[in-house]
Amino acid sequence: MRELKLLYLYPDMLELYGDYGNIQVLKYRLEKRNINLIIDRYSIGDKKPDFTSYDIVFAGGGADNEQSILSKDLIKFKDDIKEAIKNGVFFLLICGAYQLFGKYYKGVEGNIIPGLGIFDYYTEAIKDRSKRCIGNIVLEVNLNGDKYEVIGFENHGGQTYNVKNCFGKVLVGNGNKFEDKEEGYFINNVIATYLHGPLLSKNPKLTDYIIEYCLKRKYEEEIKLEPLDDTFEEKCREELFKVLEIKKEIR
Amino acid sequence: MYNILIITIAKILNFFAKILGKILKKDNGNLLGKIIKKISPNILTKFKINCPVIAVTATNGKTTTNNAIKYMIEKNGKKVVSNTEGNNMETGIITTLLKNCTITGKIKADFITLEVDESYVPVVFKKIPLDSLVVLNFFRDQLDRNGEVETLILKINEFLKTYSGNLILNNDDPNVVRLGKANKNNKNVYYFSVDKYKYATKNQTEAGEGKFCPFDDTKLEYEYYQYSHIGKFKCPKCGYGDEELFIKIENVDLENMSFEENGEMFFTKANNIYTIYNFAAVISIAKLYNLNAIDALKDFKLNNGRSEEIDINGVKTIINLAKNPTGANVSLRMLNEDKEEKELLFVLNDNPADGLDVSWIYDINFETVNVKRIITSGKRAYDMAIRIKTSFFDKDNIEAYLSIEEAVKSLYSSDVKKYVIANYTALQPTRKALLEYKKETKKE
Repeated sequence: MRELKLLYLYPDMLELYGDYGNIQVLKYRLEKRNINLIIDRYSIGDKKPDFTSYDIVFAGGGADNEQSILSKDLIKFKDDIKEAIKNGVFFLLICGAYQLFGKYYKGVEGNIIPGLGIFDYYTEAIKDRSKRCIGNIVLEVNLNGDKYEVIGFENHGGQTYNVKNCFGKVLVGNGNKFEDKEEGYFINNVIATYLHGPLLSKNPKLTDYIIEYCLKRKYEEEIKLEPLDDTFEEKCREELFKVLEIKKEIR
Repeated sequence: MYNILIITIAKILNFFAKILGKILKKDNGNLLGKIIKKISPNILTKFKINCPVIAVTATNGKTTTNNAIKYMIEKNGKKVVSNTEGNNMETGIITTLLKNCTITGKIKADFITLEVDESYVPVVFKKIPLDSLVVLNFFRDQLDRNGEVETLILKINEFLKTYSGNLILNNDDPNVVRLGKANKNNKNVYYFSVDKYKYATKNQTEAGEGKFCPFDDTKLEYEYYQYSHIGKFKCPKCGYGDEELFIKIENVDLENMSFEENGEMFFTKANNIYTIYNFAAVISIAKLYNLNAIDALKDFKLNNGRSEEIDINGVKTIINLAKNPTGANVSLRMLNEDKEEKELLFVLNDNPADGLDVSWIYDINFETVNVKRIITSGKRAYDMAIRIKTSFFDKDNIEAYLSIEEAVKSLYSSDVKKYVIANYTALQPTRKALLEYKKETKKE
């Protein structure tokens, strides 16, 4: 039986917005195709993980306090993570994790939480605490040449600047900054984004893109994924498009 | 003189609002307060209160606990004014007091008991005197509306720094116990606890907060978890969590719905662990004011979608409100502890009052849910169906309907026991649809 190995970073600290659901969705879509998903967890105090031995690395969003505690820990692995990305390991980074892979996060009081600095972008919190980018968000994403609408929910005060390759164009919502046209960061094997929802739950094609990428890389052959019954996902998307488009007209 | 005028206006408005409310079939729990607050922003300071004010705040369990405290005090023959309908923000509390005061603003009661929204505790009690504050728990709740739990806790902590009245705290929630340290000079801090129950676990099985000691960031150690992050915890570094108990509930028996406190047996209508915590708070209040709680807790039941039981053409149906992951998980816990065959209806809306973000449903433990069929409904019926499907619950046994009427109709196509869980704005429409279905099918 084929299998993929996933590393789940800081599951006890980066778990605020149900982001674990992304792993749940990956596992579901893999196991329905008879592919096993092995999930290893790493948190502060555990043995150093061998990043390159994994097919996917996942990290989610957390509370501010916890994010500053773990940033010190994460930085110890900077070189290993760089190496893994170069090797083609897939990284799925949501919200807080997205920010942590950039240069730094500057808090409301001007305090700086250093990031891994693997990517060139950086994030600064908006001075006014009550102002956050909150709401349903729809992106247009390019997956191997196919346009696909990605639906999620954004909830962030941080404004991310200097993003070279965005994850998607914003159709509804804010994005990296207030009223931005772009959201997230995307290269071949890295998706870093603010989207909760969880991201993969409403976007089966995106999930399959990640699965295909990982299988192709691991087994070095063309992969044709068996289609699944996505009736609930399709109806869910249809309904949200309907609701959000109506709201767009009112604006 | 000005006060009398304002209150007179309020009384007249209330009279018309009652009639209007009856015509429109709308609840006027906040409206009166809203209008009067516009005219007189400091109206709360104008009331003449000569009796103890008892307040309850928490993420979950405010309405149940406040109602139980009121019921208990009334059983002791006292008169109580209370916001029993759950209008727990400033305007709701203004409305309650306006409806129950004399023309000069005097509240004629032996006690006032209030449930207060977490973020409104500092606002309301800057303006009216507070004798006792009960804090039950803090869980993650509608993050897009409320923000992180930590922000709320800090707000209340700030208020407590200068508060020296009774403070009744849940000793099994690390987010709550820390509030007892806010004012070192307050000698009136009382902790209550519930001893390990049958389904407590060694590891945390449900989403929760409070993983680190608030004083030195050390990871807290738990002897056991009752539910979510509620349990017996201790900081290995500074010993945080080792408080002297005022009330300790022991020998919780959910099958026989009984427990013991200080050698006395209590029999209740509660078959779930989280309500036992609410009752521990009620018993704390009873002890502080020399009242008897045994008789009241024997028959207290809140029939408003809080473990409410109804019979629909011979099919037992249990309705439960769940606004956040912990609320949903404790409802599923109750369902799993019930060994009868059953089916589940889960209704999920994403209206502003619910929070627009439905990501939290992935913090609900469907992996262990023990039912034959699940029906989903509400504006986010399909999100819910996807959530349940990806927990590997057989997709052929999941049905999703945007319309609650259709969902209810399908639910009663079989006659096994039903559990119904609905989030905030979904609860009343769901109850209504159930009761209407009952009425319709009875005629046939």
